[in-house]
This record gives sequence, C-alpha cells and structure tokens, in this order.
Amino acid sequence: MRAFNAELSKLFSLPGIWLAFLIGAFAPAVIATLDSTAQKEGIIAGVSTRLSEVGYIGLALGVQGVIILGVLAVSSEYLTESSESGGGNQITTSLTVVSSRFHFLLAKASAVTVISFQLCIVAILTTVSATNLILGEYAPAFESSRLIGAVCYWIFTALLAFGITVLTKNGIIPLAVLMINSSVVTVSYLLSKVTKLAFYLPDKAGLDMFMFTSDRFHTPFTGGLIMFAWVAVLFIVAAIVFHRRDVTS
Amino acid sequence: MSVSSSRKITLILGAELEKLVTLPLIWLTLLGTFILNLVLAVAFTSAGLQGAAGTQSILKIGLASMVYLQAGFIILGILATCSEYTGGQIRTTLTTIPWRGFQLSTKYLALAIVTIPMAFIIAASGVLSAFIMMRDTALVIEIDAVIKPLAGATGYLTLTTLLSAAIGALLRRTTPALVILLGHYFIVSPLLRDFLSSIKNYFPDTAGYYMYMPPSSDEINVLTPMQGTGVLMVWTLIFITVAIVFYRKRDA
Repeated sequence: MRAFNAELSKLFSLPGIWLAFLIGAFAPAVIATLDSTAQKEGIIAGVSTRLSEVGYIGLALGVQGVIILGVLAVSSEYLTESSESGGGNQITTSLTVVSSRFHFLLAKASAVTVISFQLCIVAILTTVSATNLILGEYAPAFESSRLIGAVCYWIFTALLAFGITVLTKNGIIPLAVLMINSSVVTVSYLLSKVTKLAFYLPDKAGLDMFMFTSDRFHTPFTGGLIMFAWVAVLFIVAAIVFHRRDVTS
Repeated sequence: MSVSSSRKITLILGAELEKLVTLPLIWLTLLGTFILNLVLAVAFTSAGLQGAAGTQSILKIGLASMVYLQAGFIILGILATCSEYTGGQIRTTLTTIPWRGFQLSTKYLALAIVTIPMAFIIAASGVLSAFIMMRDTALVIEIDAVIKPLAGATGYLTLTTLLSAAIGALLRRTTPALVILLGHYFIVSPLLRDFLSSIKNYFPDTAGYYMYMPPSSDEINVLTPMQGTGVLMVWTLIFITVAIVFYRKRDA
C-alpha cells in the first residue's frame, strides 16, 4: 500500500502528466462535439446511419490521454539524468526502496489503472454532457453496459502502453505505435481488410466492447476477453523480462 | 584562431552530420520505418488488388502507406533536435560553436542531407513492392509518371522532418513534441478536414498531400503539386525561423 501511494505521488509529480490529463479529460468531448455537430441534421431528419456511434466515437479516439499516462509512468523511470547532475536513473532509486520487483511493477500498474479509471469517468461525464448539449432530445441514450465497455477499453489501453514500455524502456516507440493505431484510420482496420486474424488484435477487439458498428466481429464480452488476454500475456512477459533484467542495462 | 567562413561552414556541417549519424535511435527509426512501410505496402496492395489496375492506381496504392510513413520521419526530426537536450550535450555544442543561429541552420541542413536519400529509398520501395505484386494485372508503367510523385513524396517527407525538427527545437522535450505532432497529423487534422473544408488545404499535411498524390478524375484537386509544395514550405520556414529566434534568445 505504501508502494502504491509512492507510485501515485510519483505519477502526479511528472511534468508531462498534465498534458495526459488535459487530453484525456477534454479530447473525447471535443471530438464528440465536432461529430455531433456534423451529424446533427442527419440525426434530426432520422436518416443518420451512425446514431449508435455518436459520442462513443469521442471515447474511442480520445484514449490518447491514457496512452501518454501509461507510457510516461514507465519511461520516466528510465530517463537518464544529465551527467551534470550525476547521470542517475530513477529506477535505481525506486528498486532500492521497493526491493521486490514484482511488487514494484504491481504497485505501478495499479496506480496507472486507478488514474485511468478516474480519467475515463471524467471523460464520460464531459462527453455525455457535450453530446446532450448539442443534440438535445435527439441524443442517444448512453447505456451503462456500453459505458463499462468504454471504461474497460481505456484501462486496458493504458495497461498495454504500460506493458510495452516496460519492454522497450523508451517512450518513443510505444507512444508512436499506439497513437497512430488509435487514429482515425488505424493500421488494424487496414489489416482487417486483408485477413480475418486482424479482428483479434487488441484495439480492434477492444473497440467491439462499445462501438456497435456494422462491421463488428465479436460480441462485447468476447471482445473484452480478447483484449484482456492480450494485456495479461503482455504483463506476464513484461514481468518475466523485468525480473531477469539488469536494472540499468 | 581565425578560420575562414567557408571552412567554418564545412567544419560545422561535418560536426552536425557526425552527431546525426552516430545517433543510434536514428538508424533504428529509419529501419523500423522501412520495414513497416513494406508490410503496409503489401497490405494495401492485396487489399487493392480487386480494384482497377493501371499506372495511376499502382502509384496510388504504392504511396497510400505515406500516411503512416510520415510518423517515422516525424520521430526522426524530433530526435535530431531533442537529443541535444538529454544530458548536457547542448552546452558542449554551444561552447565549441558559439554562433547559435548558424549552428541550428547547419543542423537543419545536415538533417536534410540525411533525410532526402532515405525518404526517396523508402517511398520508392513502397511503389516498387506494389508494382511487383501487381505485375500480372498492370500495364507497362512509364518511368516519367513515377518520378514526379516520387520526387514529391521525397520532398514532402523531408519538409515534414524539418518541420518536426523545428518544433522539437522549440519544445526541447521529446514527449510533448511527439504528442503534439502525432496528435495533429493523425487525429486533429483528419477530424478537422470535415469541418473546416474551406481552409483545410492550408494545413501542412493536407497541402503536402497534393505534392505526391497523382491527380485523379473523380476528386477535384484543389492545389497543384507546386502550390502544395509552396504552402508546406512556408509552414516549415515559419517554424524554422521561430525556432532559430527562440534559440538565440533563450538560455540553453
């Protein structure tokens, strides 16, 4: 518990974390606002085919905030300070204090989970109110089962970012890969045109938890299960690698 | 010690080039981009094989991966300038080269020298792999029709790299620069395209799009390749100038 508190305090004192909070809390609402404005006429006329996606699209594209959170949580530990201030790594200090590597990883992952959960709640609140404000009585009802799916999607995405960064130790690669893959036209979407196997990629399966589009492949529950399996496998690999690796190598 | 100014330029350029070439992450990024591009080109081609064949569509499919490809070059530009700020390298640099504007301009020049051949090779490999996969269905391809979009693609990637380098020099930290640039190119800009269609052609990425996309009959090309180049170049020059001004004024 003390390790968990320490991790929370470390996360909140990171300089880049405010960018993550800002994007996580408001980007979904902005995207949902833009999308609802564009769809408004079609929805009022009753011809829009995308009524079920309005609002949720903000939550699907707005995961950038938690991606940054997950990546920063790990990559900040590995940042080498300048040689003028000793050239130290934060990870050396962290592992001196919490000597069990498994506990360290667990505390950090829990801190990331808790923060992304709260961030997602804030994002849902802003997104739902933005959609209601724009569409008024035409706004789709936000069912709690789909919102739970969105929360799971956010947490799993943050943990995926976290796990990949433990393996790479450098924030650039996971940040670039995950941000591109949560953009408007994703690489996984492209691959799904080529092979059916792409529907089992974590982001494609995870989106099925709450995006009810025409080309969805899994039920919400199996989608969530597949994404959870990815997260679990990644964590086992990351824990083994982290356990066996020399701290600063 | 007094050195003639032309000799000075060669020395600084040599130093900047050596710093770039010895950055291990640069080569990893380029290699990763190259492999990713091949995979994407194959995916795009097999997805597009059902469509109509011809010179136009080979180029279109071969260059379709450019959208993702530019991410590698954005990273390249950011790494080139932000690597100075991890550790105290910037202070060493400025001790040996105490002309700030001069030093940063030479850095952009060195970056362009490294980027141009790489951008050409990577863009060409995409078109080539599309061509090889579609050999059976395609008509004979004219070399002139290929050279122009490829030159445009190379220019686009190089200017994008320089733009990212300028933003990296402004922000001096890798993560915020990366988030802002990737966020703009992959999320903000595709979304805004639908809402601000009147000014969308003046964004750096949409303007640059016209540099390499061959004109097609079914969509109206609003900008010619030359106009696209002009708009993107203005953006790049503005950011480079701002970066240099800040660099001269700011504490290192």
